[in-house]
This record gives sequence, structure tokens and C-alpha cells, in this order.
Amino acid sequence: MKLHRLAAFAAVTLTSISAAHAVEVELSITNLTQGNYFTPRLVVAHTDAADLYEVGEEASVPLAWLAEAGVIDDSDSADSIGQNFESVLGPADTDNDSNTWHKFGGLVAPATTLTYTFDTMDKPLLSLATMLIPTNDAFAGLDSIEIPTVPGTYHYYLNAYDAGTELNDELNSLRTDITEEGGAALGGYGVPGVAGAGAPPVMPSMSDGGTGVAVTVGWDAEGNALASPNEVIDGTDGPIHIHRNTLGDTSATDGASDLNSTIHRWLNPVAKVTIVVPAS
Amino acid sequence: MKDLTLKTLAVAVGISFLAACSGDDGEAGAPGPAGPVGPAGEQGPAGPEGPQGPAGEDAPTAGLATYNVVVTNLTHGQPLAPLAVIAHEPGYYAFKAGEPASVGIEVLAEGGSPAGVIDESKEAIQFLDAAPGSGPIMPGQKSENITLVVPVLDSDNLQLTVTSMLIDTNDAFTGVTGYDISNMEIGESVSFTTITWDAGTEANTETADTMPGPAATAAGGGGAPAGFSEVRDDIIDAVRVHAGVVTAENADDPSKEGLSSSVLDQSDRFDNPTAKVVVTRSR
Repeated sequence: MKLHRLAAFAAVTLTSISAAHAVEVELSITNLTQGNYFTPRLVVAHTDAADLYEVGEEASVPLAWLAEAGVIDDSDSADSIGQNFESVLGPADTDNDSNTWHKFGGLVAPATTLTYTFDTMDKPLLSLATMLIPTNDAFAGLDSIEIPTVPGTYHYYLNAYDAGTELNDELNSLRTDITEEGGAALGGYGVPGVAGAGAPPVMPSMSDGGTGVAVTVGWDAEGNALASPNEVIDGTDGPIHIHRNTLGDTSATDGASDLNSTIHRWLNPVAKVTIVVPAS
Repeated sequence: MKDLTLKTLAVAVGISFLAACSGDDGEAGAPGPAGPVGPAGEQGPAGPEGPQGPAGEDAPTAGLATYNVVVTNLTHGQPLAPLAVIAHEPGYYAFKAGEPASVGIEVLAEGGSPAGVIDESKEAIQFLDAAPGSGPIMPGQKSENITLVVPVLDSDNLQLTVTSMLIDTNDAFTGVTGYDISNMEIGESVSFTTITWDAGTEANTETADTMPGPAATAAGGGGAPAGFSEVRDDIIDAVRVHAGVVTAENADDPSKEGLSSSVLDQSDRFDNPTAKVVVTRSR
């Protein structure tokens, strides 16, 4: 009898805790850069059984798809099926036990804000990732913050990370005068990579003619000439780390980079996330 | 303290002014021989302004809280212009990421003067007190102690705004707006750092005739003529985080990374944060 009563009490307590977590929160993201767009946001409420990325560790293949191409799910890129975040997290917009995730659409232009509302479905943690375009594999991330439950407004500033899965050559992936070794198009995952296959084809102010920043066209990393003088060898520069920023240049026709040093650079933080927990 | 005295004085003046506003009433129109009463005559002109009322008494100091603010310039080579330091209740902000800068912020970010930002803050109902810095803060140096006084009653719901221009830029400023300093104990200090914002009001050409600081002066420009201009010609007319100065370094080498129009060099570069703020409640 005593035990029974205790059990009932415990159940009630659990229910009320759970109810306290089941909040419909409003999430806003502000792009603090002046020249980089954010691809659709992957927003995940999760338990500690799920993790989008860990600074200091190698990026997962799903993160490479997101950071190189803005790809989150199968609908973004058929080539990514089985390799994207949808394949590891489960279906979107539902309770997957360890997580519930959403693809919050639309590009976030520089100095603009988009807002969404979603149900955290009792998950205690929140992560967010979005690619910066145009870059090789830069992403802004929020890693496993505790979802606030007390009504109020909470601000988080996000840094730009380098996924480390692609060299930062800063070459426009639409170029055909330069290819990856063997003739493949530039861009790594989700070619064309710089713009992002899963993102709308926005190529803000990108130029041509750059000779490459973290690579030398026609040469490998050891200084040996490649068979073709118009090829580059891609590589990795991981693990995940704070991005060292775009170099860019001020020439639309030559110089090192196809990005513009007066437009496409940034300093951290690159994004502000605001979470509003409404008074219930 | 001084501000409070002034406010009391203003109230006294206002009252005496109102008291002086009673003009003579006009005469009523003459009644008709048999008809209804005619319309009232026009009101006479206002009487002369009354004499100024006496200054109010100083408020008792027991009801006041005092905060001292000291700012350190964390950059390598960017002098900071005189500070704008404002104490206020929640709801006021001097700038907001993604929104066009106010003219006060534009004036501060392009020319270095804190006066416009402070004047704008006084228009806000949340305003409590403000003070400008006395002069520029050189790299590695601290500002003087800047003192703000607010009613004790507001100390449990208090925010701070601090802004200052990076002088060797077109329109970069460091700072924070709406930083919560509620419920500080007497003697307690809080410390935080601030990042650098681009006001979005001027293109970042980094030329001698668009930047007011010593780098531009050394190149034959600088000073007030190179400071504030009401023209807004940046790539976006919105406040955002500054991307850093490009400088002329490597403008002519094969990388063409640099900006040939720039009079800045590598020593003018900065990264976030650019300032440290220490707030101490002394009373």
C-alpha cells in the first residue's frame, strides 16, 4: 500500500517535470555578417544521445554535407541519401525519441532575422547548424545548449566553424577552367560546393580568376606538378575548429580568391540566436 | 547629482511658466435686442511669462546609487574615441543588429563624438543617467572613471549602454547596449568585453578623407572633415558585426588580398573583443 502510493506520487512528479519541458519556444536567428548568407537551418531539440558536432573532433559525413553544400535532408540532394542528417536523426518535425528536428527554410540574408516557433517535445538540449555561403565549408553552430524553461528572452551568440572537410580554396565552384584532380567539378560534397547544392543558387558577388587560397592550381601540397595545370587536389583541414575567416581579394579577375576581401570576411560572432519562452 | 538638481530646476521653471499662461479673457459679445446670446469673444493674448521659480532642493543622497565605469582598449592599434556611457531601464537600446543606425550612432561611429548618442538616449523614457568620456582611449589604456548616478529604486532593473568609435576606421564602434547590471551590491564589480560593430552608414573605403583618426591624418586626411557625413553609402544600411579592416597590405602582390585605397596597414587590424568594461557600484 505504501509502495503503491509512493509510486503514484513519483509518477505525478515526473509528469509535471515533463510538462514543464514541453514548451513551444520561439527561435530567431539574426545574421550578423555583412556578406554571407545562411542556408536553411537545421534545428534539433535533443537528449544527450544526439550530437550534431563536437569542436575538436572530425566532422561527421552529415555535417560535411551541411557545411559544404547546405544539405540537410534527402529532398535537398538525392546524392546525400543515407549520408545526411535526416538519415541519422530520423524523420523531420516529429518525436524521434532522442531528438526532434526541423529544417527552417529560407536564406537568412546579412543583417536580417528570421523567426520560427517549435515544440521542444520534452528534449532538454538544443543544437543548430547552418552553412555560410559563399564559403567552402564554414558553418555557424550552436552546440547542445540547455533549453531554457523559465519564461523569458535568452540570447546566444554563434561562432563560425570550419568543418575541416574541404580545403578553403575560395574558388568559385561554377568555374570550369579549374577542376578537381581527374576532371571532377570543384566543390566536394554536393557539387557545386561553394554555393551549396541544397541551397538556392545564390552566388553573392563571387568573381572568377582566383588562383586559389589554400591550394595551388596545378600543384599538389608537396609542391609536385600535377598532370594537368588546371587541376587542384582537394583535402581536409580538420578537425572542426573556429574558422580562420575568408581571405578574399579585391580583384574580380585575378588574385588569390574568388571572394571579395571587402565583403565576404567576418569576425565572430556571426549569428545571434534569440529564444523566447512564453509565459504559460 | 548635478543632473538631478538640473531636473528639479526644470520642473520649477515649468511650473512658473504654466502659472504665467493665464491670459485675459475676452469680453462677451453684446446681447442682441431680442435674439439669443451672441457667441463668446476670442480669448485674449497670453500674459507675459512669470518670473523663474527658485531652484529645487537637492535630493537626498540616500536615495541614489552610484556606478563607476572604466573601459580598457583591447586593440593593438585602434584608439577609441570618447565613450558614451548610459544607464537606463530595459526597453531602450542605442543600436540593434539588423536595423539602420540612428543618426546619433552614425555621428559616433563616423566622427567619434558621443554627444548624439547621449542626446538620443535622453529622449527615451527608460533614460536614467549618461556621461561622455573626456577623451580618446589609446590601445592598452584605460579610460578615466566615468560616474553614473541613478535612483536606488532603479538598481534592481538596470541596464548599461557603452559605445565608442574605433577611430582608424570608417564607421566601426565597439560596445554593448542593454547590458544587465541589475541588483549589484555596493562594492560589487562586474566585468565583460564588447565586440565591434559596423554602423553600416559609410562604405569601408579606409581612405584618408573618410576616417578621422591618426592613420588618416598621417596620410594627409583625417580630422573632422573626414568624420561624420550624412551620406549612407555602405553595402547594407544596417548595424552588423564588423568584418575587420582590410588594410592595404598585399594589395599589390599576386594575392591582391589588400585594398589599394586603404591608408591602413597590418598594425590597424583588430579582432573581437575590442574593449573591456568594468562596472563597480560604489554607493
